[in-house]
Amino acid sequence: MNISRRQFIKSAAAQSAVAAAAVLFPGVSFGAWKNLDPSSGGIEWKKTPCRFCGTGCGLLVGVSENRAVAVKGDPNCSVNKGLCCVKGYHSIQILYGKDRVTEALVRKNGKLVEVPIEEALDLVAEKMKETIKDYGKDAVAIYGSGQWSIPDGYAASKLFKGCIGTNNVEANARLCMASAVTGFLTSFGLDEPMGCYDDIDHADIFITWGNNMAEMHPVLFSRMLANRQSKRHVKIIDFATRTTRTSQAADKSILFRPQTDLAVANAICHEIIRNDWVNWDFVTNHVSFHKGKTNIGYGTEDHFKFTDKEETVDFESYKEFLQDYTPEKVEKISGVPAKDIKYMASLYGDPDKKITSFWCMGMNQHTRGTWINNLVYNIHLLVGKISTPGNSPFSLTGQPSACGTVREVGTLTHKLPHGVVMNEKDRELAAKIWTVPVENIDPKPTYHTVEMFRALDRGDIRFMWVQVTNPMVTMPNLNRYRNGAQKDGRFMVVSEIYPTPTYDVADVVLPSALWVEREGFFGNSERRTQHNEQIIPTPGNTMCNTWQLIEVARRLGYEKQFPWSRETYIEDIWNEYTQFHDNPKHRMAPYNELKARSGIQWPFIDGLETKWRYNPKYDPAAESDSFDFYGKPDHRAWIWLRPYEPAAESPDGEYPFWLNTGRVLEHWHTGSMTRRVPILHKAVPESYVEINPDDAANLGITNGSKVKVSSRRGSVVMKASINGRGRPPKGMVFVPFFDESYLINEVTLDAFCPISKQPDYKKCAVKLERV
Amino acid sequence: MEKSKHKVDQKVGKVFLVFVGICIVALPFIVLAAFSFEPQETETTVLDPQSLDFDQNGKAIFENYDLISKDYLEGTSTERTLSEYYSRRQYPGSPPFIPHKVEEADLAPIECLACHARGGWTEELKRHTPITPHPEQVACRQCHVAMTEAKLFVDNNWMSVAPPRLGRAALPGAPPPIPHELQTRGNCIACHVGPGTVATIRVEHPSRGNCRQCHVPEISVQPFERKIKS
Repeated sequence: MNISRRQFIKSAAAQSAVAAAAVLFPGVSFGAWKNLDPSSGGIEWKKTPCRFCGTGCGLLVGVSENRAVAVKGDPNCSVNKGLCCVKGYHSIQILYGKDRVTEALVRKNGKLVEVPIEEALDLVAEKMKETIKDYGKDAVAIYGSGQWSIPDGYAASKLFKGCIGTNNVEANARLCMASAVTGFLTSFGLDEPMGCYDDIDHADIFITWGNNMAEMHPVLFSRMLANRQSKRHVKIIDFATRTTRTSQAADKSILFRPQTDLAVANAICHEIIRNDWVNWDFVTNHVSFHKGKTNIGYGTEDHFKFTDKEETVDFESYKEFLQDYTPEKVEKISGVPAKDIKYMASLYGDPDKKITSFWCMGMNQHTRGTWINNLVYNIHLLVGKISTPGNSPFSLTGQPSACGTVREVGTLTHKLPHGVVMNEKDRELAAKIWTVPVENIDPKPTYHTVEMFRALDRGDIRFMWVQVTNPMVTMPNLNRYRNGAQKDGRFMVVSEIYPTPTYDVADVVLPSALWVEREGFFGNSERRTQHNEQIIPTPGNTMCNTWQLIEVARRLGYEKQFPWSRETYIEDIWNEYTQFHDNPKHRMAPYNELKARSGIQWPFIDGLETKWRYNPKYDPAAESDSFDFYGKPDHRAWIWLRPYEPAAESPDGEYPFWLNTGRVLEHWHTGSMTRRVPILHKAVPESYVEINPDDAANLGITNGSKVKVSSRRGSVVMKASINGRGRPPKGMVFVPFFDESYLINEVTLDAFCPISKQPDYKKCAVKLERV
Repeated sequence: MEKSKHKVDQKVGKVFLVFVGICIVALPFIVLAAFSFEPQETETTVLDPQSLDFDQNGKAIFENYDLISKDYLEGTSTERTLSEYYSRRQYPGSPPFIPHKVEEADLAPIECLACHARGGWTEELKRHTPITPHPEQVACRQCHVAMTEAKLFVDNNWMSVAPPRLGRAALPGAPPPIPHELQTRGNCIACHVGPGTVATIRVEHPSRGNCRQCHVPEISVQPFERKIKS
């Protein structure tokens, strides 16, 4: 049927007259959207990191007439190289929801009423003073998030830890990546990944550990698919508890029973040693072996305390320990066929294959989250596949600045911007930079997130300021914590952009400027710091979260510590904050460089980013010929002997199903932003419960019919989804948590990893009833 | 007659002999090549979205053009209008939503591309299928989502710029500039040729192939001004 161009040109000539007529409709507007004035001066493109997940895609936002009007991927950003996901492409629509909070509100006679923002800030400061006077400094708390811009978290830490002197600073990232942090600290002594996203282009094998990347980190997943398309031998193995879009796109999908990833990881190591696939050169020179406490509990009771006790052991003890984890024994625990375990071990063990493991909430929201992080590092360390291009155990994050603000600034109860409150030297450094007396900084951590909300319920905390997060949707065992927040004598300040269930319990609502309405910084999963300038005006009386904190700090008498001007405060804070990291292991890029470029990875040494840490070829801080795991005093990476222990609550006769919760591609976290984006809401308008078809048939449940999901703590009635996007195995149900109309966290359990204090949202026992 | 037939047979025989000879000589090479295959382990260039634009990948786009059938090149349906085209977008250039029913199926990406990689008539929807300008991106539903609900959660005060004006040639008969962004849309043929496209933006001379020879992107609307050094 093909014809030459020359032939065709002749035949086309006749048609051209007709077609030419068709292009004579200039200036006609067709869009589904409301048009700006057509005489406007075109679009100007401004760079910013995306507002949503921890991938940290670079976006170019088109601005016209002081409004954000279009998005394209930033081709200069090495994260996404010009591609976004559906959330990113429509991200700017979160700025324009009709119910945007633009004025301050104060609860008067039970109702939130508009007040001038100055009056609201006065009241916040007044209440803080009063609470500290009546109940002590540890009765006031701030709860932020991994969506805090870096200056927000820094100002919060300085005000609460440095000035007021309480360690009541936490962030929702505790619910999101605390196990990743403790995993890094226990295995390597320093937080955050050794590798970077370039590993995706170099690896031959990808193993996703309980990680539905196709929906949660779609841009990175596409980069993986692009690698596989260009190199025939590349394979993706999905190791998960439920079948998802990631499983469908993978070369092999392996399902395991919830919590048994611990046993499988140990079995993989058992196989690597049995087959002598160990990289002895690496292990002898760069690894040491360690043991901690076992049978460590689940933290479901108030005032739960746990401290691990480390004991150094040798390789023989490790080998002995692994005898309980032969593939055959683990098959019985995990339901994973021994041959599949051996297959995964052979992939890790093959010296010619570069392997990258990805994980996110599946391993972090786990009552043994620190352990499973350790165990996956163990695998990579045994075969020496780490800190080189393509060889990468990679912990992904879910929020745009979980790394930047929470982990690097240290907005957790035990942390300081550099080091921990327990360490005298770290306190001295902080006091010096903050210009506060060193006695101000309390050497004792107070409450981690779950315990902080328990303290609010008990009355130990009386005043809580929540910024950029929605705990009244996200706290596990939610009924208890919502009741606690609404008790008499509790004062809740909420900095928000839209009405949410957390806004509903507020005594004061402060209207916040959002994302590109203010200047700031995010830090993504691969140690990349990303600057955004303010590219559109702040609407109404909204105020940047950092500036809200500065205003309150000044009202509390800390003018000296918060002296910055409104024009330059973000730059000034950056210059002050980076003094904490002024060392070869963590140095941050200077303000002007960050402003000019689409993100820069730290350590940033002599004008160069560090792509692979601990490897002297790429990392100037590594002082050795081969590798230098300088985070630990012995300059080695630590392999941990961590056993399999069961979940806090498993299905039984009365509650026979596992409940697993998570996200969907279209919505981000509690949906307070994405549900206001027309196309995202229309795609997934409400939450649902995914049920295995066999279970549904047994219970007489059909697709779309109403089901009651209940646990010992609460219940939700919602629609069933059978053979939908995700397909749980028999005995498991899955519920996305974005929908405030179906609060699945009233059903979940507030058990957590005793080391990281991160709750497990992936495992509790429920029953199902047809409604 | 007999003689000439004999000659022809001889000729055929010679050609055949030469062919067999070549095969025998080539065989060891083929066998050796087959056994010496080793997967490339490293440093293969991974296609990234940037390299899919005409500037980096123009040759491939141009050659791809030769595979298009005459029927398709001549296709002139009027099924699609510009207003329908923009009704599926939130701003000029946003990824359009999926306007038809889709199953949450196994291997979803391949299913989308079964129709949207090459186009064609679909009996089910009684329409010509439009072609994606970026078939190398296989995770289609990373950006394109189907609508399952008509109502909004909360209204949105969204506004954007007007779609680009058509027919903007600088002189009568001159080639008009490209009025839209080209990122992930560098393959002109996909949206401007064939029966699956919008009639008003279909080109009348698709066979010329090298579109960017005459049509250039309009990056700035400001006229040139000399900066005078003082």
